[in-house]
Amino acid sequence: MILTIVFMGIAMIGLAGCLLQLMAVRAYTATPRCGEGDSLPRTFPPVSILKPLKGLDDSLFDNLESFCNLDYPKYEIIFALQNRNDPAWKVVRKIKDKYPLLDITIAVEYCEEGLNPKVKNLIPAYARAKYDLILVSDSNVRVEKAYLSSITGHMADPAVGLVSNMIRGVGGRSAGAVLENLHLNSFIVGSVCFLDKYLGMPCVIGKSMLMRRTDLDAIGGFRAVRDFLAEDYIIGKRIHDLGRKVVLSGHLINNVNEYWGIRRFLNRHTRWARLRWHIGGARYLSELAGNAVFMSFVPLLISPASKMAAFFAAAVSSFKVAHDYYIGRKLRTGMNPLFYLVSPLKDLVIGLTWFVPVVSNTVAWRDNRYIIGRDSLLSPCHETGPAARWPGIISAIRSRLAWSKP
Amino acid sequence: MLLCDFHIHTTYSDGSVELRRTIDLYGQAGFDAIAITDHVVNGDNPIGRLAHRFRYSVTRENFAAYMGHIREEAGRAWDKYRMLVIPGVEISKNHLTPDKSAHMLIIDVHDFIPACMSFEEIFVEAKRQNALTVACHPHYMSAASDRNTLFLWNNREKYARYIDAWEIANRDDVFNVISLKKYPYIANSDFHKPRHLYSWKTLLNCEKDTDSIKRCIRHNKGVALTLFRN
Repeated sequence: MILTIVFMGIAMIGLAGCLLQLMAVRAYTATPRCGEGDSLPRTFPPVSILKPLKGLDDSLFDNLESFCNLDYPKYEIIFALQNRNDPAWKVVRKIKDKYPLLDITIAVEYCEEGLNPKVKNLIPAYARAKYDLILVSDSNVRVEKAYLSSITGHMADPAVGLVSNMIRGVGGRSAGAVLENLHLNSFIVGSVCFLDKYLGMPCVIGKSMLMRRTDLDAIGGFRAVRDFLAEDYIIGKRIHDLGRKVVLSGHLINNVNEYWGIRRFLNRHTRWARLRWHIGGARYLSELAGNAVFMSFVPLLISPASKMAAFFAAAVSSFKVAHDYYIGRKLRTGMNPLFYLVSPLKDLVIGLTWFVPVVSNTVAWRDNRYIIGRDSLLSPCHETGPAARWPGIISAIRSRLAWSKP
Repeated sequence: MLLCDFHIHTTYSDGSVELRRTIDLYGQAGFDAIAITDHVVNGDNPIGRLAHRFRYSVTRENFAAYMGHIREEAGRAWDKYRMLVIPGVEISKNHLTPDKSAHMLIIDVHDFIPACMSFEEIFVEAKRQNALTVACHPHYMSAASDRNTLFLWNNREKYARYIDAWEIANRDDVFNVISLKKYPYIANSDFHKPRHLYSWKTLLNCEKDTDSIKRCIRHNKGVALTLFRN
């Protein structure tokens, strides 16, 4: 009984955290920011946009094309790939052919340095960049015409060293993508707004990072973060250590996740869990405590027959559905309202992935496997043990059982 | 050379990928011409009736919507990827025994063709519409498959003159008997899932328009095969 009450108490604390997140998101979306009518100076310095690419993300063509239609006087786009066999190469060729007047460079260069595949693409792209402002933008984001003009406005303040953007998940058309977008539009957005508003800790979201070349060089360029999984966090931390401000723009960008499978969703969140475990240390505990839905189901495990525990779990789940729906509305995600009903299920899955770093310290990312260490420092994983054998054994059994045309 | 795939299914029949995403998959992969060929299944036996029941078939009722959607996506594919999208169907005459079963592609179809018509009637109707007729997976497929469709091959003496081309390769299967008979050939993926993109394909040496492509396949000059891999 005491344990039940303890977990219910933790769940109540989690709910209070959700309420604070909700208020922070409300404040974020209500405050006019750069590009939305505030008084920041409007300057339009030229920008080099670096787009690291690997494989075909959902709607890759549309995502990349959105950067060709920016309402901005002068900018270049550098698409960076490791080799021409990457299927994204054909897409960027089509983009370049479609916009011959735009300053587009396709940098195909195999980079041997580092273990972070995104940074491996950024190093040669950065060497080709012409302008002082460097924007790193992931391949799975889609932006509006005012994107660049709204974020460069922050750079008029010389104290600002890095501008990042809030993301919202859009386009979910499969179960994994819906779960991913629900998580982005609730936990991620809520946490980022909460840290920004109440703790004055602006998070750096790697999907969009605008920096000055001088600051980037001062921290050692991309080579300095080539072996970190959380290169965005490290860049933000080091620029902050230089005495520069890290700010969160009010301009929302779309993270397009349309056709994810469940496996990809789980893979990403077990990877992120390991990452936060190695970065956050003791703070990582607060994530589990903040997962009100997961905590509300623990009393049900302790005493399955308890009507009170069942009612409590149902009440917390209902609250979380309403919470996520409200944030989704505020962010104008356009998600089908019925999808919010699976939000508690998503929280339960995320609660389980929280424990993964306890039993494993390897991550799989873009066809590679690494051991993750302090501050998300990567080292190569040479698989020889059971972890390497099991997937092969399972795969072999599956192919034996296949009866239809494989 | 045009990189082509003329045998693609979407969620209009038993494919797992909806039309819009299929177009984006092929467009981003750099294809020049594709044909969307969802099943039109014969409804005159229990197997066919099940297919209709579970909506694994284009029907007379939704044919106009199917064609309209393909036309709409064809416009988008051309604007975005410069990829030609040709409407088609796969007439699927399914029976319990492989010897009686046959599938054939009707490429550049205009009007609905019911699969319960006789083979002769189907070929005549296809010719009337100036559509291309292709015999699909005409010989024994891989051992894992129990869905062989042998009728057209077994009756080739009778029907070969009506058939514009034969699938010499379908996804991972290669039918070298087509080569031995010197029949006109193409190779297709029989796309149902995204992984099927990586399979046998056709290369055509012709202009990128529907008439040139049909002419190239019928004359079977400037046609080559390629195993498309990621």
